[in-house]
Amino acid sequence: MTDSDLGEHSDQAQSWEAQMRSLLEEGGYDIDLGIEMARDAQRLVAGELSEQEFHERYHAAVTEEFGTDERPVATDEPSASFVELLTGECSGGEDPSRREVVKALGVAGGALGLGGMAVADQQRTSTQAAADGPDEPDIQYGMVVDLERCDGCLQCVTACADENQTSNGANWMYVLAYLDEHTEQENFLVRPCQHCSNAPCEKVCPVRARHTREQDGIVLTDYDACIGCRYCQVACPYGVNYFQWGDPEVSEEELDPNHIWDARGMRVDSRPPKGVMGKCTFCPTRQDGLQGEDKVGTVACMDACDAAGMRAIHFGDLNNPESRPRRYLRERAAEELDDDTDLDMDADWATSTTRWRKLSAFRLLEDLGTEPNVIYLGNQPGERADQQEGPVPYDLIGRVDRRKDVLDERTVGITGGDD
Amino acid sequence: MHEDIDHRVLLRPIETTSRRYFVLLAVVLLAILSFVIAYAYQLQHGLIVTGLADWGSGGGATWGLYIGAFIWWVGIAHGGIILSAAVRLLGMERYKPVARIAELLTIGALSMAGLMIVVHLGRPDRFVTNIILAYPETVHTSPLVWDVTVITLYFVLTATYLGLTLRYDIVRLRDELPDRFDPLYRLLTVGYRESEDPVVERMVWWLALGIIILAPLLLHGGVIPWLFALLPSMPGWFSAVQGPQFLTIALTSAIGSVLVISLAFRRAYDWGALIGDDVFRGLGLWLGLFALLFLWLQLQQVITGVFAPPIDVDAATSAKLSSPIYWLAIVMIVTALGYLTAQAIEPRYFTIPRTVFAGVLVVSATLIEKTFFVIEGFLHPRFDMYAAVPGSYIPSFIELSAILGTLAMVTLFFMVIAKVIPVVELHAIEDDASVADWEVEP
Ligand code: SF4
Ligand code: SF4
Repeated sequence: MTDSDLGEHSDQAQSWEAQMRSLLEEGGYDIDLGIEMARDAQRLVAGELSEQEFHERYHAAVTEEFGTDERPVATDEPSASFVELLTGECSGGEDPSRREVVKALGVAGGALGLGGMAVADQQRTSTQAAADGPDEPDIQYGMVVDLERCDGCLQCVTACADENQTSNGANWMYVLAYLDEHTEQENFLVRPCQHCSNAPCEKVCPVRARHTREQDGIVLTDYDACIGCRYCQVACPYGVNYFQWGDPEVSEEELDPNHIWDARGMRVDSRPPKGVMGKCTFCPTRQDGLQGEDKVGTVACMDACDAAGMRAIHFGDLNNPESRPRRYLRERAAEELDDDTDLDMDADWATSTTRWRKLSAFRLLEDLGTEPNVIYLGNQPGERADQQEGPVPYDLIGRVDRRKDVLDERTVGITGGDD
Repeated sequence: MHEDIDHRVLLRPIETTSRRYFVLLAVVLLAILSFVIAYAYQLQHGLIVTGLADWGSGGGATWGLYIGAFIWWVGIAHGGIILSAAVRLLGMERYKPVARIAELLTIGALSMAGLMIVVHLGRPDRFVTNIILAYPETVHTSPLVWDVTVITLYFVLTATYLGLTLRYDIVRLRDELPDRFDPLYRLLTVGYRESEDPVVERMVWWLALGIIILAPLLLHGGVIPWLFALLPSMPGWFSAVQGPQFLTIALTSAIGSVLVISLAFRRAYDWGALIGDDVFRGLGLWLGLFALLFLWLQLQQVITGVFAPPIDVDAATSAKLSSPIYWLAIVMIVTALGYLTAQAIEPRYFTIPRTVFAGVLVVSATLIEKTFFVIEGFLHPRFDMYAAVPGSYIPSFIELSAILGTLAMVTLFFMVIAKVIPVVELHAIEDDASVADWEVEP
């Protein structure tokens, strides 16, 4: 603020005071008292005056002016017998320990408040730093999934299970066939882990086992660090985590050593060992070239989807305009526009339709702020959407759908049957 | 105050051991053994032996009775701070005879809470090391790490507090305490001087103040509910009212358990004169007050959940309201509150067994309500398209044995500790003037 700013400020204040004065005069109360109190109140806020001083200064005057002063002044204790009942003590007003409690609580409260501010400050600077860029990975792997192309064949589910040797029912890649409230049309939702940029699962992990790989933004679990608290599973809004409740169905020896540790030497790929959390990984060992150069930039589910001729899944670097998902997005937008103009050739508004307007793209539960890296094209499931049995049931591909059925077999106790 | 009571009364638990003691000991050890076996089985085969499962397509609940019991034990642990705050900070002398019992309960209950977390983990062997290794980073973001931090702090503060207040008693009663624990007594009273009494008194006062800010506001009114309340994806949890709501759980279950343990000691050692009726009457009133608060906060949640709820909140609330388990917990609390209110209005309804029974009702109801709360979250998530949602969860025998086992362990803890140190402080039967009468060896 410059000096002239300040001058202007106090000018304003003076005219404000004059205005208030005329207003107050109409009220019929003592204006000078009011204004003096207001000034001192500001001093009180600024810390130049203690609350006690303030109250002492005005208690008598206020009582005289208004007949009553309802502001808290330490006069007599509430000598209610209920208090006596609870405490078992007669409430003598001059109990020093009680006064000290109040005082000390005040000090503690202040310290807490300051602490809170310090934390808030720190957070602000750290988010600023993040926004400034150096932390953002250059590559951000993600997917564009075209739900309109999906026919619910579950090839991706099978491929993922084979690739990662997951236990039955741990369907890292999962496809929901669903009906929405107002349509009879069957829709599909392909549900891998969303590899969120602001992943709640990662935030809550008490040991940093759940983490985002810096080089490509993939969200992974360090199987050697995870303590199996399952908080990530609790915090993930999408239900994509599958815990290794018992011994894995496929033993350690049967796993491909090139498919366990990523290039950082961290154990993050294939099914998790017992007592550790697993979920869709975006195939980090493929991305690191450990399974051959030709597999870099691919994921098992996409390969299977392509092989089935569906081409619904498009995996790649979302930051790179030339990546497969980005190219696909452009392609589809252009297609939509063509379709659109075909249909409405002679309608005027068709010409004003922008390229993107007609392409229905969404991310799941975007309002939760998780910043998912899976972009869907097609119908967005409504709040009341409900899963139905799809054209290919899970048992047909040899997978259990409701995993609890498998887990219940080993439960010691009553399991509630198979409802 | 009970200046007329001889100090030997305090030594009764140390000097006499009845047949019933050994019977109870056998029962308790049996319960602990069953828990040890169950846990060993779980370690061997994994958490698959519990009733837990993945939520989502899996159709289960990720957390269950273990976490419910964890919340419950942390709540019970608040007995210590409530009583010592009442006695030391607010000068409510009448509760002095049960203050140490309550503080011991804090130590026992917090240990059980910690144990529940360990038992709940898939890889407990990594717990300590990995938490410490990642601590500098995770302490900024993980509510679970906040919990571990605050609980550890609470434990250390309470233990210090107990240790400090014990010195006074042990020095003065040393001649009458059994010699076989001599090394322990020496350790506890190392470097004792009479001149430290006023200093210790001040330290203890500040410790009590520290704990009272830490425990209710930050622990059960803070980091424990935040495990759940900060997750927008679970409408049954996501709410600013969970802090106060959890706090009422802590206050009610803590007072309820202090009532139970006080009665146990009173009966076992014929301590009618020492732990007087007024203690139970007073605690009963407090219990009623906090139970009322509990119900009031439940009401807040129900009203918000039914008036004009968004779809996900609507689903969670109607599921809650149609669950008999929820109503069981509420009816238990209402019943207890009904009696406690009647007793407050019309003193002739007061009897100690009834008051303690009200305590038992409340303590059981809080375990039911909190476990239900945990499970409800998974059964009605925001993303509920899955056919397997709402899933189901029934606690397995393995998990139930943990409740039994931890209860037995706390009982055992009291049975053992009562043989070693006076569980009622000397201050409870003396006024400050008589302190000088004691001969203290330097
Ligand atoms: S979808 Fe769930 S598990 Fe995957 S990154 Fe997001 S929050 Fe984490
Ligand atoms: S289960 Fe493992 S990865 Fe998930 S939050 Fe716990 S420690 Fe982290």
